[in-house]
Parts: sequence; structure tokens; C-alpha cells
Amino acid sequence: MSHKKTWRMKTALYGLLCVLAIPFVFPTWWMATSSVKPVNEVFKFPPTLIPTSVDFSAYKQVFEAQPFAQQYLNSMYIAIVCTVGTLAVSSLAGYAFARIRFRGQNALFLLVLTGLLVPSEVTIVPLFQMFQRWNMIDTHWPLILVPIFGAPSVLATFIMRQFFIALPPELEEAGRMDGLSRFGLFRRIALPLSRPALGAVAIFTFLHSWNLYLEPIVFLSTPSKFTLPQALTQFVDAYGGPAWNVQLSAATLTAIPVLVVFVIAQRQFIEGLAHTGLKG
Amino acid sequence: MRFWTARRRDHLAGYLFIAPQLAGTIVFVLVPLVLVAWYSLHEWNVLADEFNFVGGDNYRQLADDPNLPKVLAATGLFSAGLLVLNLSLALLLAVLLNQRLRGTVVFRTLFFSPVVVSMVAWTIVWGFLLQDNGGVNGILNTVGVHGPNWLRGDVTAMISVVVVQVVKNVGLNMVLFLAALQGVPGELYEAARLDGASAWRAFRSITVPMISPTIMLTSIITVVGSLQVFAQIAVLTQGGPGTSTTVLVYYLYQQAFQFHHFGYGATLSLVLFAIVLILTTVQWQLRKRWVFHES
Amino acid sequence: MKFRVAIAALSLLALAACGDGKGSTPAAEDTGPVELRMTIWSANEAHLKLFNDIAAEYKTAHPNVSVKFDPLPFESYSTTLTTQIAGGNGPDLAWVLEDSAPDFVGSGALLPLDKIEQADDLAPAATKLWQNGGKLYAYPFSTSPFGMFVNTDLLKQAGQDNPADLVTAGTWTWDKAFAEGAAVNAKTGTAGIVVRDFDYKTWSNLSTVWTGWGAQAWSADGKTCGFNAPEMVDAMTALHKAVFTDKAMPGPGVAADFFAGQSAMTVTQISRASLLKDAKFGWDLVPLPAGPKGKYSVVGQAGLGVLKKSKHAATAADFLSFFTNPANSGKLAQYFPPARKSQLNAETMAKTNPLLKPAQLQSVVIDGISTGVVKPSHTGSAEIAQNVRASLDPLWKPDANVKSVLDNVCTGVKPLLAK
Repeated sequence: MSHKKTWRMKTALYGLLCVLAIPFVFPTWWMATSSVKPVNEVFKFPPTLIPTSVDFSAYKQVFEAQPFAQQYLNSMYIAIVCTVGTLAVSSLAGYAFARIRFRGQNALFLLVLTGLLVPSEVTIVPLFQMFQRWNMIDTHWPLILVPIFGAPSVLATFIMRQFFIALPPELEEAGRMDGLSRFGLFRRIALPLSRPALGAVAIFTFLHSWNLYLEPIVFLSTPSKFTLPQALTQFVDAYGGPAWNVQLSAATLTAIPVLVVFVIAQRQFIEGLAHTGLKG
Repeated sequence: MRFWTARRRDHLAGYLFIAPQLAGTIVFVLVPLVLVAWYSLHEWNVLADEFNFVGGDNYRQLADDPNLPKVLAATGLFSAGLLVLNLSLALLLAVLLNQRLRGTVVFRTLFFSPVVVSMVAWTIVWGFLLQDNGGVNGILNTVGVHGPNWLRGDVTAMISVVVVQVVKNVGLNMVLFLAALQGVPGELYEAARLDGASAWRAFRSITVPMISPTIMLTSIITVVGSLQVFAQIAVLTQGGPGTSTTVLVYYLYQQAFQFHHFGYGATLSLVLFAIVLILTTVQWQLRKRWVFHES
Repeated sequence: MKFRVAIAALSLLALAACGDGKGSTPAAEDTGPVELRMTIWSANEAHLKLFNDIAAEYKTAHPNVSVKFDPLPFESYSTTLTTQIAGGNGPDLAWVLEDSAPDFVGSGALLPLDKIEQADDLAPAATKLWQNGGKLYAYPFSTSPFGMFVNTDLLKQAGQDNPADLVTAGTWTWDKAFAEGAAVNAKTGTAGIVVRDFDYKTWSNLSTVWTGWGAQAWSADGKTCGFNAPEMVDAMTALHKAVFTDKAMPGPGVAADFFAGQSAMTVTQISRASLLKDAKFGWDLVPLPAGPKGKYSVVGQAGLGVLKKSKHAATAADFLSFFTNPANSGKLAQYFPPARKSQLNAETMAKTNPLLKPAQLQSVVIDGISTGVVKPSHTGSAEIAQNVRASLDPLWKPDANVKSVLDNVCTGVKPLLAK
């Protein structure tokens, strides 16, 4: 291959990648810059890439219009509790299904796997009525209990099981010699080895909880209990002005911190996800 | 002999370990599934506080519902469009990033970044961009194209929700494909090159079969995920224009939680469940026939 | 064995979940400490301060009762309220929006109000929607007329007549308004007329236009669809022409906000005047233009009711009587035009509406309330709204056939009206 040809190929490749990147990058850029534009400029046509003047007042309004800090905390803590809870529940179950022999194991595994076939959207009506009976409507319980124990955690259990199956049994032998109990084997040996899978499950679970929208709007009705996705759609008020830039500021506030964490840890993030049982 | 032999203790440990997950599955998946069927035989009037047995009324309504065929068509269109676009774009990106090029990590980060942005925030931004006088048409304008009024035309609205969803989540499939591509032994390509096969030919007869398990898995996840789409519809189009983007989950939400027809909502849930069940079974059967090898 | 246990557990759960949960019968007024919750849709600080002041005053006489005002987002207010009731945590008192009034008044969800102070002072036009079988189920605390806000700077810039002069001359009609809107758009590029909050989705706000043609969404008894009646076809044809031919109104998917100076005129409720406190342009408020059927006005209403299911229904009803008594009604009037005849005059209202001139109050508010047609309402309003929105969508295209679209609207909505 001639030098010139590879050079041309490379340029074409970079060009293609850059064009493809536009829809991935432009929305975030436009969101962040428009949130500091004056209201009049948000809808300038064609849109301005760089704000002509910077105005942070919309950010102040975000916190005045709604208990936004509280809502941020709600989303944060729910996602963290869900992640920790799911890790505990699904690593235990995944380990048992992979490494312990007990009666009815296969049947029970199949039973649990039905969770993969029943997305929570299917059961949202009875879940609503069950939580109503338990006086848990307009509390965060449904948003915590269902992901940790219900359908969403089944995928996590599946990933964990695939990982534990692949662990060489000899690793546990030494522990068994030392007289470790089952729980000891799980905690001291299997769990520390399963960091990559745990990482992937943690990321999945956190994003799943962080993104939940249908469940919060069904179960929650008091603004101070709202989660972020739900709060974002509520910046349209009865007696106020247009809330476009306020809404965009709020959206920016929810997106940027996660994006920053992601960019810093992107390698672990992406490779963690890539190297799980999900490979096939 | 002691009662608690190592074997018995292991059994007990097994049951204890799976207990939380098992109990959760029963309480939050199986019981609600049975209740969905039960509710589908009832009507609940919230304001008058009446819960009445109505027998097959909700099923009769299902058969007569003039919206249902449109809703199912929209659901099918959305899922099919999403599957095709998502998988082909993910594969294209993965192949591009699998070239030995400087800066692929930067691009990989860019393509993956929407995955971590919350769906509602992402959709709100696209809602602005897809307005008639919004950013997308602004960009098209600079290259001399007069863009359509995206969210107000039946076809363009469907294209919009599919594209918004694909751009948001394609990074995930891209990463899975990248990992799979890196697992394809280089010698295979070497051999193909010696045989004089073109790049396209090598892609078709080496790459695709070698990564077919991943293609299968991502397609199952993508299809089941596409049936659960809600936030982008609720924020972007509210099911419109007309009912062109009213997918099943959105319709279910409308019936149950906006119109408060909980019984009919439960009936629609069963339809959704049936579809998920059938699609997963079909894909599983296809897997046997189509997938090159199981890892 | 295990199977049987599972079945037993299941049926128990099912029973628990399907029990009828009869509401408690309203008991006597509570004597112990009570916290009442009232759901509202305004999160405006000034509104909340006024409400809290009234509640504090009530507390001095009833030390055991405090009231919490709970603002819910306006967009999904009725859905959220009903979901709260369904979830067993409904409020004690609730604002009810006019479109869902028949749902609440007719279902028996609200307690009849028989202790309203000086009930004979209430304008019959204002209470009509909230009565059933001769009893009042919600107090119409806000009867807010629609008017046309005008950006006089923009109109002047486009060389157009001042609408206030046209009103005086008696030539303020929709034809003229559309013509001015089109001229503004043609000369300045700015949007002409915007029907606020319509956004080509919330069609009920178009009643502010079609009433001028004598059209209505459905007959007074709610049984007959009015969308394909000749009046409605004429009204919608005029509207369609204004949007797509004359460009007097921005088309679907185009955002333009009057209060940010992005349109020359907007149709909205007078309570929005507060947004013009810091306006950087000259503005005026005039009545809605006359239609082919002459002058008219349209009002939006909000009622306040007591939920029958409330554990403190009697206390809540007592607070409602206090909240709406003549003195407090006068205070509320600064934000919510009152239903009390004695308070409906320009002088009283001018004291509390510093942004509006007495003439504006007289022409838009006072005259509006006494002659106003209330925005459409019906039982099952959420479903009807959605159904009509979907079948009305094809109208918002340049080449739409108005008559056939409207025929389709009626075909689709007929079964819902019959319910």
C-alpha cells in the first residue's frame, strides 16, 4: 500500500467519525450552552453555537421553582441504595446458582429467570395496587424494592451467575481446606475475584435507577419526593413565564456530573461493561 | 452422626443465598403477573371508589378497540426500526473504532457518552432540537436542506423517536461489539487475505459469524428494551401526531394512569407480556439455527 | 404442600389488593390536632403567602387545625390528583380544574358544601359547573376570563392600528386581528398571534377563538359532538387559513413566547399580567376580538372542594367556608377573579390589580365574567382530550381538508361522549 493511500484512508476515516459524532455531541453542547443563553436566544434560528451573552439566572430559578436539591438527593440516594442492594442480592443468588448444588436448583433458576420476560411495565398496575395496600404510594419504597428484588435485578443475577461459573473451582479448594463456611468462601474468595462483574452490574443498576421515569411518575406525586427525570419535565408552570432555559439548566445539572465521572473513569467503565458474561 | 452434615449445610446455604432473589421474584414478578390477569377481569372507578367484576368486558374492549391495531403497528415499527438501525450503527462504529487509529479512545468516549445522560434530559434536549425552528433544521439549513417539521409528521415523528433512542443507547452495543471483535483471531483475516478475499467478503464470512453470539444477545436485549420505551414518547411526542407514535407501554400508561381504566390497562399488560414471550422464544429458536458457535 | 401454601398466599394477597376500602363517613369536626392538606397547582410564592396568611388567621380561632398547601405541577394536575386518590393518599381539600369538574362533581368524590357564607352572593354563571342536584360541590374561587395581550411596540413597528382604538371604534374582529398578525409577521418576522398553551395539542384553549363563531365542542348536555357543526367548520377554516395561508399565527412546532417579546399578540388569562411586571415593551390588554357571531368572552374556572374520603372532612369543610368568606374572597381576588357579585366591580378589583387599568378590568374581567362561556368540560375529560387531540392532528397541515378532519373527530369522540 502506498503511503499516500493510507493517508487518504485515514483522513476519510477521521472525517466519517467526526460526522458520525455530531448527533452524539451536539445535543449535550447545545444543552449546556443554551442553559446560559438569555431566553430570547434559545430559539434563535439558526441556533447559536456560542452564547452571545452569558446569564446564569436560570440556574438560580431551577432551585426556586422546585425543591431541586432535594430531588437531586432523592435520585442520588435511591440509585445508590438500589445499586448496593442489587449487588448484594444478585451476587448471593448468582453465586448459589453457579457454585452450590442444592435440590430444585434448576427449576428455581428458571423461575427466577421469568423475571427477564416480565418487564416491570407489564406489572405496573398490580404493583401500584399492592403498594397502595401497603401504604407505600408516594414513598420511595417502590422505587427501591422493585429494582433490588424484582425483575430488574434478575439480569444482574444472570450476569453474576455467568461470571461465577467461569471461576476455576480450585480457587475455592484452598479456602475449604482452611475450614471456611460457604458464606466465607463467597465473601473471602469469590467476591473479591468478581470485581469486574460487580463493576458492570453496579454501572447497569445505577444507570437503570437514575433513568427510571415511568415508575416515579406512577408512584410519586409530591414534588419534594420526585426524582430527577420526573422533576425535569415539571418546569412548566401555571402562572409563570416560559421555563425553557430553566429546564435546560436543570437538565444540564443532571447530566454534567455523571458525564464528568464517566469521562474520568471511562476506561474502567467501558471495559468493565465489555468483559462480562454479556459477551455471548 | 450429626444432622448438619457438610452436604446439608451446603443445601441450606444455597437456599439462603437465593432466598432474597427468589422471594423478590415471587412478590414483585409472579404475584403481580397473576394479579394482572385477575385485574383484567375487573373495572375500578377511582373517584366513585368502586371495584367491580366485569368478566370478559375488557377483552371485548380489546377486540373492539379501534386504536389497538394502530398501537401494535407503531410498536412493531418502532422495535424493527430500532433493532435495524441500532445494530447496524453499533457494528459500523465498532468496526471503525477497531481500526488501529490514533484517537479512537476519544471517539469511543464520545459515542458512549449519551448512555450515561439521563433519558429524560436527553429527550428534552432533542425535543428542542427537533422543533420546526430548532437546532436540527438549523444545521440542515447551513448545508442548504430545508428540514421537515420533525415531530409533527407521522413518519418523521417515528423516525425522530427511533433516532433519539438509537443515538442515546447505541454506545452500549458498540462496546459489546468492540469486545467481541477483539476476540476474533487475527489469523483468520490473514488467511482470508492470502486467499484474495475482499474486505467486505472477510467481514461477511469471518467477522459476522464469529461475533454472531453477541449479535444475537444484543438483538434480544435491544428488542425487549424497545418494547419498554416510555420516557422518550412521553416527553417528545405524547404518542402523536395522531396515534402514530403511541407504542404499547405508552398506551397502557394512558389507559391506566391518565384515563384511570385500570382494568383495561391490566388487559393491555397481558398483551405486552404475550409479545415479549413470543419474541424471546422466536429469537431463542433462531439462535440455534443461526448462531455460528456458542462460547 | 408447598404449592398449596403458595396458592393460599396468592389469594390472600389478591384479596388484600382488591378489597373495596370503603371511604369513612364524614364524622363530626375534629377536636384533636389536625393537619389539612390542600392540593393546588400554583407554586407562585405570592399566592402561597396569601394562602398561608389565611390559614394562620384560621388557626387563631381553631388552634388545633393547620393547613398545608401542596403545589402539584399544573400540566399533570388532574392525573396526579386522581392517582393520589387511587393510591389512598388523596388530600383533604383540592383545587379542581374546569375540564375535570364533571368527573369530580358527578362521581360523589366531593362533599356537598352547605356552609358557604352568603352563598346567594355567588354569580349563578360561576357556580353552574360545580352544582349537581341543586347542591354545590366545589366553590368557584377563580373565574378567570381570557383576553388578548398586545405588544404595542411591535404593532407600531409594523404600521398596524392600535387594537384599543379598534375596540373603541367597534371594529376589533378576528378578521382584523388575523390581518394585523399576518402584517407583523410579514414585516418584522416576529410571530403574529399565539393562543397561549395551545401548542397544537391542548385544543380546549381554542374555545377562546371558536366561541366567536358560535361553535362549541359538544352540546350543553354533553351528548352531541359539535366539531363538525357548520359553525365549527367555519371557525377552524378561518384558523387554518390564519396559520397556513396568512401566517398570522406561528405553525406547529414553532415556539414563540409573547412575554419574552416573541409575538405581537397572545390570547391568555388575565392572571398572566403578572409576567409583564418587568416587560421591556409597551403592552395593552383588550377583550377577545369579535367573531362573526359578535362579541363574546370565555372564562377558565377553578373550584375548591372537600374530598369525601378525607378523614377530617368536616374540619376541611369548615376551613373551606372560612377560606372563601367575603373577607378572604376579597383578598384572593387580587390573583383569582371572584365569583361574588358584590366584589365584581372595577374599583374593588383595581385595588388589588396594580398592573391593570380600571378600563381594562371593566372590559375584560367584569364584562367577561358576567357573559363568559366556560371552557369545555365533560366526564372522562382526560380520555376525550387525548382522543380529540389525536384526531385533530391532521388539521395542522397546510393541505388539510377541514371538514373531513372534523368529521373524523366526531366519529372518534362519539362513543366517549355517550359514556
